Amino acid sequence: MSRTDAVTRILFEAFSAVEVRLFYVLGYAAIAIFAYGVYVQIRKYRRGAALELEGRLWARFGAMFRSVLDGRSVARRDRGAGVAHRLIFYGFMLLFAGTATITLEYDILEPWFGIRFWHGTFYLVFSLILDVAGVALIAGLLFMMYRRGWMRLPKLDYARPDRVPGDPDFNRPQYRREDWAFLWILLIIGCTGYVLEAARLVWLADRPDVWDTRWWSPVGALLAQFMRALGLGQQAAALLRHGLWWFHGLIALVLIALIPYTKVKHIFTAAASLLVRDPLAAQRLPRVPESQVEAGAAKITDFNWKQLLNLDACTKCGRCHEACPARAVGAPLSPRDVILSLREFAHATLESGAVPSAAELDVHGKAPGQVAMETLWSCRTCMACVEICPVAVEHVPIIVQMRRKLVEDGAMDPLLTKTLQTIHKTGNSFGESKRKRGAWSKGLPFAVKDARKEPVDVLWFVGDYASFDPRNQKVSQLFAALLQEAQVDFGILYDGESNAGNDVRRVGEEGLYEVLATANVNALASASFKSVVTTDPHSFNTIRNEYPDFGGKYEIQHYTTLLKQLFAEKRLAVTRPLKYRVTFHDPCHLGRFNKGYDAPRELLALLGCELVEMGRCKANSFCCGAGGGRIWVPDPVGSEKPAQNRMKEAAMIPGLEVYVVSCPKDLTMFEDALKTTGNEGKFVVKELIELIREAIPVQRAEAVPA
Amino acid sequence: MKILVAVKQVAALDEDFEIRADGRDVDPDFLIRDLNEWDDFSLEEAVKIKEAAAAEPVEVVAVSVGPEEVDEALRKCLAKGADRAIRIWDAAIEGSDSIAIARILAAAARREAPQLLFAGVQSSDQSFASTGIAAAALLGWPHAAVVTQLNLAPGAKSAVLRRELEGGLLHEVEIQCPAVLTIQLGINTPRYASLRSIKQAAAKPIEVLSLADIGLGAADVGEAGSLSRVRRMYVPDKGRAQLIEGDAAQQAARLAEIIREFKGAHP
Repeated sequence: MSRTDAVTRILFEAFSAVEVRLFYVLGYAAIAIFAYGVYVQIRKYRRGAALELEGRLWARFGAMFRSVLDGRSVARRDRGAGVAHRLIFYGFMLLFAGTATITLEYDILEPWFGIRFWHGTFYLVFSLILDVAGVALIAGLLFMMYRRGWMRLPKLDYARPDRVPGDPDFNRPQYRREDWAFLWILLIIGCTGYVLEAARLVWLADRPDVWDTRWWSPVGALLAQFMRALGLGQQAAALLRHGLWWFHGLIALVLIALIPYTKVKHIFTAAASLLVRDPLAAQRLPRVPESQVEAGAAKITDFNWKQLLNLDACTKCGRCHEACPARAVGAPLSPRDVILSLREFAHATLESGAVPSAAELDVHGKAPGQVAMETLWSCRTCMACVEICPVAVEHVPIIVQMRRKLVEDGAMDPLLTKTLQTIHKTGNSFGESKRKRGAWSKGLPFAVKDARKEPVDVLWFVGDYASFDPRNQKVSQLFAALLQEAQVDFGILYDGESNAGNDVRRVGEEGLYEVLATANVNALASASFKSVVTTDPHSFNTIRNEYPDFGGKYEIQHYTTLLKQLFAEKRLAVTRPLKYRVTFHDPCHLGRFNKGYDAPRELLALLGCELVEMGRCKANSFCCGAGGGRIWVPDPVGSEKPAQNRMKEAAMIPGLEVYVVSCPKDLTMFEDALKTTGNEGKFVVKELIELIREAIPVQRAEAVPA
Repeated sequence: MKILVAVKQVAALDEDFEIRADGRDVDPDFLIRDLNEWDDFSLEEAVKIKEAAAAEPVEVVAVSVGPEEVDEALRKCLAKGADRAIRIWDAAIEGSDSIAIARILAAAARREAPQLLFAGVQSSDQSFASTGIAAAALLGWPHAAVVTQLNLAPGAKSAVLRRELEGGLLHEVEIQCPAVLTIQLGINTPRYASLRSIKQAAAKPIEVLSLADIGLGAADVGEAGSLSRVRRMYVPDKGRAQLIEGDAAQQAARLAEIIREFKGAHP
């Protein structure tokens, strides 16, 4: 035997044949327990509703691997956790791969094909890599322990806003125990690995193939030197190694066996969830097939298999809990707890041999595992949760599907009922006559074209708020004047336009949404235009992302990109630069939903404004509270409104002059919040259009005839 | 047990409406149609009784008088839980007053033979508040108007109800079935009919009956069968007010001028 051939991993050395056999028996048992757990989980998912995935599988795999390997989604808004998770992830993966390759050689390649590779330089390099991986793993674990034990992060507090102390599922101490057990078990495996390695080195110190190459395992070697210095003899080391070998081996097997039954399963479920991610989960809600009798999710089995998988992917990291505007103002909703509740529910009902009767599958209510209607109605469908989730849990469609059931049952605020009836009757949420939709344009010195009667280049979808709300009508007039001055050939649909339905759909009134979307698609079909522009981000989202499902495919942009383009083409020019100190509020439906972060900021720069960002901006913008139909339902008296929370944040910017918005609902919500938070007079809320108008004053000479 | 619920599709005025050429009604182009608000409550009351019934099944039948467009209101009733709907129409019915409509409903009630006939206290567009009561008179059934609470065991021979009187008084009444009840707003909370449920209700039948089907003739309805007829519908001239601006002397001068203008015709 050559020297290099002798340098190899010491495996079952000094083990009796019985011991080796026993280890194999235990190993197979662990694998069997693991496999059974996997089977139970997959059976659970398969009990969900069917779903056809869109898109190519290889593209999905590519996206999944990128996300899993770069770990960026874990690092967002929590760099420490991101670094520690990468250390644990890569440490664990390498150690696992190392152990797996040993099995590959020892149990497969060598006995069946006589191939050996686990020796010589390969072995030495690998042992060096694994030693480093072990350090990474332990460092990551220690940081995670510090984070859980000492940092007291609010997002890791499992107390629920939708339960009260004393409820059986209020703060779920079992979650905390599981978190710690997971960290400890990994830490123990890592640490015993090193001690085991060191003991082996001491034990076989007289074998040059072992001892002379010891520095290829630097941590183990150091520990070995230390043990020898403490007087550990070879015999004692042999005993220690033998005992630790079993301890280390058994605890590792236990970990493997427990994967499908504990949070450890996230290593599979999170990856799978990323694999089946829908990049438009909140932007484009699922249609209800004509054949489906019940519109919404009433039973746990009404969720599709992907949603059941989503539930299991959650790692309770709390990022959605932290981002949720409803939770931030004390509403009884945490997106994390909706997911965890349903997960507990699915665990309790769908993991046994037979599926319980329909009555036991009802997910609506106040019992443990069920979701209360107050919780569901607190959601503003702002997408903050979906956007930040590191493992692609899609909360919004789950919540909306549950709301669809509430709508079917009429279990909603009477004011919301009234609004839905009004929208059905008049096509707008203001209860105004259809004929008055274009009335705001009468205040203009020129006539706005009716796109149904004459062809236009740009069709402006105005939306309810910009059409009927008196404050927003003024903004609409300014925008029309800007378009006119830039010589844009534009028109509107007048009474042909209906509420776009974005919020109606997010309320969960899918039938009404179908009526509205179809009416608008038909109205748009009756007009002749090249592209669509809208001043309303809510309309923008549904026309852009959801109307294609109803046969309406258009080139559509939000007004900010159109105006930016008009400035670039010199059809508009700033004549009076503004020197305001401003901050910009990203509307959910423009920013997070459609990634329109840049155009408004570029426009503000063009105007000469100094932009100071709020802490929560762009993807982390804080919802004004109007989304998901909540603009039609007053917030509970006495509690803080999301818009007020936001105003307080803006008020902290020293010397702030203008709080800039680019959404009609934002204008309404924040002008109100400005007053109720006592900030009136300190700064003002303005539509970006109003600032642009200010920077391009109307030529007086032209306006007043001589 | 069967409950017949008489419903009406009412009209609400749109912005800037115009009066029809004959001057007797609003131009239908300017009307927004919907189910009468009171009928929403009476239908809900019937559906609630149906849902609470354990032993004896309750059938809820919605009935309305009107042309095809009324189907929309009936579908809403079906979506909310009515089992069947009946619509009665004939060109001769045009021009009927509330008594003639009551005659049609009474004929329908004779055909259906329900234990109870519900109607709203009144309709929001014409506010006669007489249709239900007139039907009771024509049927010869006992009636109770402005019902705000109803206790009825399905199949029972009588019902106990409360009526709202002036001055906060309540009237508790026991009434023999079959009877006619006119239902007041607020007796319950009408459920929301989701658009999907309305769409699905399209599968439930709406039976269309002619006058002959219910044993009436053209002379029983329309203007011939009515005790009153509409002469004209109009918007009264509004009183005019104007704010006189300026200082005291200017205001006085303007006031004097106005007085002189009014006096002008009769110096």
